[in-house]
Amino acid sequence: MFYRETGQFKSSYAADMAIFPIRQDRIALWVVLAAAFVAVPLLDFFQVWPFGGEYILRAILIPFLILSLAAIGLNILTGYCGQLSLGSGAFMAIGAYSTYKFCTGVHIPLELFTISIPPLPVLPSILLGALMSAFVGILFGIPSLRIKGLYLAVATLAAQFFFDWVFIRVKWFTNYTSSGSVAAPDLVFFGFTVTTPIHRYLLCLVFVSIFALLAKNLVRGNIGRQWMATRDMDIAAELMGIRPLYAKLSAFALSSFVMGVAGALWAFVYLGAWEPLAFNIDRSFQILFMVIIGGLGSILGSFLGAAFILVLPILLDQVPHALGVPVSVETVSLLVFVVTGALICWLLIVEPRGFARLWSTGKEKLRLWPYPY
Amino acid sequence: MRAPDGPPVTAGDVLLSIDNVSLSFGGVKAVSGVSFDIRKGEIRAIIGPNGAGKTSMLNIINGFYHPQEGVITYKGEARAKMRPHDAADGGIARTFQNVALFRGMTALDNIMAGRTLKMRRNMFWQMLRVGPALAEEVEHRHRVEEIIDFLKIQEIRRTPVSRLPYGLQKRVELGRALAMEPELLLLDEPMAGMNIEEKEDMSRFILDVNDHYGTTIALIEHDMGVVMDLSDRVVVLDHGIKIADGTPNEVKSNQAVIDAYLGVAH
Ligand SMILES: Nc1ncnc2c1ncn2[C@@H]1O[C@H](COP(=O)(O)OP(=O)(O)O)[C@@H](O)[C@H]1O
Ligand SMILES: [Mg+2]
Repeated sequence: MFYRETGQFKSSYAADMAIFPIRQDRIALWVVLAAAFVAVPLLDFFQVWPFGGEYILRAILIPFLILSLAAIGLNILTGYCGQLSLGSGAFMAIGAYSTYKFCTGVHIPLELFTISIPPLPVLPSILLGALMSAFVGILFGIPSLRIKGLYLAVATLAAQFFFDWVFIRVKWFTNYTSSGSVAAPDLVFFGFTVTTPIHRYLLCLVFVSIFALLAKNLVRGNIGRQWMATRDMDIAAELMGIRPLYAKLSAFALSSFVMGVAGALWAFVYLGAWEPLAFNIDRSFQILFMVIIGGLGSILGSFLGAAFILVLPILLDQVPHALGVPVSVETVSLLVFVVTGALICWLLIVEPRGFARLWSTGKEKLRLWPYPY
Repeated sequence: MRAPDGPPVTAGDVLLSIDNVSLSFGGVKAVSGVSFDIRKGEIRAIIGPNGAGKTSMLNIINGFYHPQEGVITYKGEARAKMRPHDAADGGIARTFQNVALFRGMTALDNIMAGRTLKMRRNMFWQMLRVGPALAEEVEHRHRVEEIIDFLKIQEIRRTPVSRLPYGLQKRVELGRALAMEPELLLLDEPMAGMNIEEKEDMSRFILDVNDHYGTTIALIEHDMGVVMDLSDRVVVLDHGIKIADGTPNEVKSNQAVIDAYLGVAH
C-alpha cells in the first residue's frame, strides 16, 4: 500500500483540519493507541513480556509516558512559543509537592485567619497541584516580557535553584519528615486503588492521551498560531494584534500546568516515594534534550524525544551485552553522555526541528516516491 | 488606550491625518515636521530616496514608533500614544520592507494568524476544538481560503514559508495582512526585488484589493512606473522632510522632486 493522499479528497475544511488528514497516518495512530490500550494490558495479563517480568512496564513504559508528558509541557513553552526554559524540574516539583500537600491536607495558620483545607482525593489534588505550578509559571514568565533567549533561560534557571532550595529547606512541604523524603499516599481514583504496574501504566496512559490531545488542539488553533508567531517574529506578531503579554504568559501557564501534572505523576505513580533530588537541574536538562532531539514545536516529537532519551541508555547497556562485549556501568553512562551530546550537536546543525521533522520530511519523500518531483 | 473606533469614515473623507509629526533617534532626525493625509479608499504612495524616512513614517502610523512631536488623527480622533496591537485593533495592517513572515509556519498558518483578532473562542474551547470552537476555525479557514484563491497561492498553502522564493513570500505576507480585513493597509516596498512579471501580479493584487474591498492603501515604492500606475496621490519625502504632495503627474514635474532623485546638493 502506497503512502498517498491521492484519491483521498477532503469534502470539507473540517476534514482537512483533522489531526491526521492522511488515512495512513490515521491508521498508524489507531494502531499505536490499540497497542497501548489493548495489547500491553493483554501482554501483562498473559504474562508474556519480552525480556520477562514487568521490567518493561516499570522501567520503560511508565517513565516514558510521564516524561513524554513533561516534554509536551516544555514543548509548548520552548518549541511553540520560543521561550527557552531550564526550569522544567522546578515546575514538576511544584506539581508534585503541591499535590502531596493537597492530598495530606493544608493547614496554614495566619495572623488573622487560618487557611485550612482537608485532605483531598488524588485526582483533584493533582489538578490543584498543577494549578499551583501554572501560577508560579506565570510569575516566572513575567520577565519574558522584557528579556529573551539566554537571559530568560537564566531567569528560569534561577527558578530551578530556588525551588530546589525551597523543597529541601522548607520542611512544611514535606510534612516535617525527618529524612526529607516523602511517600505518596494511596492512589485512589473514584474508589479504585491503583497498585499494580499495569494499572499504574494505564493511569499514566489516560493522562498522557488526554493531555496530548488537548495540547495538539491548542497548538493547531488560534492560541497555537499566536505562540508560533511570537516565537518566529515577535514584532510582526504584535503588529497583527497579538498581545505579547497574553501569548507568552498563556504559554508559561499551560506549559507549567502540564509539567505540574507530569511532576505529580512522576512522584506519585512512578517513584512512590521521593526526594527533592528527583526534580533537580538534571531533570530540567533531560526534558530539554528530549524536546530538542524529538523536535521543537511538535507534539509527536515530544514522544520521540522521550523514547530516545530513555531507550538510549538501555540500548547502550544491552547491545554490547548481547554481542558478548562486557561494558561497565560507568562506561555506559559515559557513552550516554557522548552519544546524546553528539546527537544534539548534529541535530542542531542539520535539522533543528529534530526527529519529528526528519520523520515528516521522510513522509513527504514517500508521498512523492518513486518520482522525486 | 484602545484605538479610536470613531464614526465610520465615508469614501473620500480623510481617514488618517498626520500633522507636523517629527521623530528622531538620538541625534538623527528621521522625520521632521511632516504633514499629510490619507483619504478613505485611495491609494496613497509615499516615495523618496533611501533613508528619506518612509519606513519610519509607516512605523509611526501603526504605533511602533512614537513621534516626539505632532498629532495623528485616525478616523476623526486624535490618537493617543498606542501600542502596535492597538493599531491592529483599529484596523491598520501592514507588510514589511524585509519580509517579516513567521518562518516556522506554513503559508496557511501565516495567513490564519492574520485572523487572530477576529477569533473569539477562548482557550478552553480551543483546547476541546469541538462545537463552536471548530465552527469558528472552519469559518475563518473559509475566509483565508478566499484570500489564498485571490492571491493564487493554492499550491503552497502547506509549505513552510521559509522554503518559498522571495516573490511568493511577499505574496503570503500580503495575504496575512489582508486576512486582518484592514481599513488601512500599509505596504512597505511590496515589489522590491521582484521581476517585471511578479511586479505586474503584485500591482494587480493591490488594485484589486483597493477595488473590491475598498481598502485604503498607503504604499511605499521606488519604481516610479508602478507609482504612476497605482496611486491616486503621492507624498514625497527627502531627508525626513516633505518636499512634494499631489497627483502623480504634479509630483513628477515638481522641480524639488527631480532634484532629490537626481541627487542635487541641498
Ligand atoms: N530604529 C532606528 N534607530 C536609529 N535610526 C533609525 C531607526 N530607524 C530608522 N532610522 C534612521 O532614520 C532615517 C530614515 O530611515 P527609514 O525610515 O528606514 O528610511 P526609508 O524607509 O525612507 O529608506 C535613516 O537615517 C535611518 O538611519
Ligand atoms: Mg524603508
